[in-house]
Amino acid sequence: MTDSALHATAEPERTPRIRFWHGLSFWGLLPSWVLMGLALILPIAIIAAVSVATRGAHGGFTWDFNLAGYRHILFNEGWTGELEFTPQYLLIILRTFVLAGATTLICLLFAVPVAYFICRQPPGRKAALVYLVTLPFWVSMILRVYAWMIILGKEGTLPRFLEYFGAPAGLSFMFNDGATLTAMVYTYMPLMVLPVFASLEKLDGTLIEASHDLYGDRWVTLRRVILPLTAPGIIAGAILVFVPSLGAVLEPTLMGGGKQMMMGSLVQLQFGGGRNWPFGAAIAMTLMALVMIFLIFTGLRTARRGTAL
Amino acid sequence: MKKYLAATALALCFATAAQAEGQLNLYVWAESISPALIDKFSKENNVKVSVDGYTSNEDLLTKLQAGSSGYDIATPSQHFLRVMIDEGLIENYGANELKAYENIDARWRNQWWDENQEYSIPIAYGTAGFVVNTAQYKGPTDSFKYFFEPEGELSGKIAMLSYPDEVIGAAQLYLDVPFCTEDPAQMKKVLDLLMAQKPSVAVYSSDNIASRLASGEVSAHFWWDGEELKARTNGSPFALAMTKEGLVGWIDSMVIPKGAPNRDNAIKFIEFMSEPENATEQMNFYAHSSPMKLVQEKVVYTKEKAPELYPEVPIVFSRTCSPAAQDLVTRVWTQLLQ
Repeated sequence: MTDSALHATAEPERTPRIRFWHGLSFWGLLPSWVLMGLALILPIAIIAAVSVATRGAHGGFTWDFNLAGYRHILFNEGWTGELEFTPQYLLIILRTFVLAGATTLICLLFAVPVAYFICRQPPGRKAALVYLVTLPFWVSMILRVYAWMIILGKEGTLPRFLEYFGAPAGLSFMFNDGATLTAMVYTYMPLMVLPVFASLEKLDGTLIEASHDLYGDRWVTLRRVILPLTAPGIIAGAILVFVPSLGAVLEPTLMGGGKQMMMGSLVQLQFGGGRNWPFGAAIAMTLMALVMIFLIFTGLRTARRGTAL
Repeated sequence: MKKYLAATALALCFATAAQAEGQLNLYVWAESISPALIDKFSKENNVKVSVDGYTSNEDLLTKLQAGSSGYDIATPSQHFLRVMIDEGLIENYGANELKAYENIDARWRNQWWDENQEYSIPIAYGTAGFVVNTAQYKGPTDSFKYFFEPEGELSGKIAMLSYPDEVIGAAQLYLDVPFCTEDPAQMKKVLDLLMAQKPSVAVYSSDNIASRLASGEVSAHFWWDGEELKARTNGSPFALAMTKEGLVGWIDSMVIPKGAPNRDNAIKFIEFMSEPENATEQMNFYAHSSPMKLVQEKVVYTKEKAPELYPEVPIVFSRTCSPAAQDLVTRVWTQLLQ
């Protein structure tokens, strides 16, 4: 009561200052609003609008409301002409998620020990190792994928090496799911190592000692102390790897031989040769919606764990 | 792609710096125009020429549909040229009144893709079929049968393109299914053929074809005649299969996109490229056939040296499909790679 009374008396003289700071923060934040609006919200709004537009005869679209793009994902005319349930696009979506999930898991398996190793090093060497982890980002992604083609391909580094130890000549490890996965794990590994490293680095060593003092063996310490405390880094890394993996086009096409479509190449086909922009936009929106669900799910889980602690 | 974007950005900077009349922006098939000719044109006319490349007709169409591309010349293939005329994406520059029109070989004038030859002047034509590495495969190549229904040594050693455009055309030639059919039953036959071929296919890719075929990673690759010819001239053991069912044909023409900023220079360039002397040099560079009158004694790729440019099997040109027919093509492709 007295509080509001105080405020009431203070208000007249403070208002101009508040207004000044308020104005300043508005104008100061304006660039970020403009950037968000132009670079994030506007393009997504355009894709959303195109996804409910009507396709043009040869690509392009007209602004007539039409849900055919979304219907296409589940139902299409069969070879005999009637509308039937077509699981092919769901299969492509599922395959994309499995590939992205596998990439994330493998990255995680390698990244945690690597990050742990790095953060146990003396400061000078630690900086050098972190620098080395980021080094591949200096080279264009397409070049790095081509490098893997040289390593795994026929007459490549790895087949030659194995030949030296008696493997049959003419081996090639290209054009299969393993090759795709290798390139994807390699490409996205730094995105996993860095956040995990950041949260491991903040880990208080005395907590590990305390765990040992309480007769926790190494496994219990890892499971009950280290992993829960580094969970934010691991989740951040998983999102950073999983989300771009969903849109990967380069690795499945170049390394996997393009024998099975991923969502990225499906969208590309619809905007290109398929000349069905609304359908392509609808697939992109579906992908985005699925990612959102995934993120909300992980977000809720973290929040729940946060309150449980 | 980034490279092209950077190049475009750079070109645009220069465009504003230089005077407007001294500029020409080409958007053509990657590495398709002789750099020596561009230099010559640039010097003779005091025009600054910038060249960007694309690798599929779809890329070009999408860019023109998006509008205000800033390009003065593009070189679409016949079936896309037709779409661009119908959609009003390119200028009627009265091509049939130019000197260039007189230089077109009579059999390439006034075709269905531009009946009155008002919108385009052709620059190159050729075929697509399958190319074999003759060091790896010694068997017969006179039919698409060996490519679509491979047995023995070709099985597992076949590569297709990553886009349906030409490969579906070839499958249609083999099955005697008309191009752009709207009959699902006919297209189902195409799908069945491609599905049966799939276990024998190593890769569906349109990049890096020469090195993939030369290294022996694959023994047969769907490809274009001129690319095969260039690689063979450089010593690779390649041969284009002369399939009795025919080859898929294409012809690229120079067009002016709507709203091109340097229309006069574009027409000058089209006239320049169509002079017999320059057309000959262009053909010697590109290694695809020229639809123009040439200086015969200067032609490098003669019938003796380059039999792949003078096929005796029928050439069937890709057509402009209706949306219904195009959907069938896309559906076949999606089901094939689902």
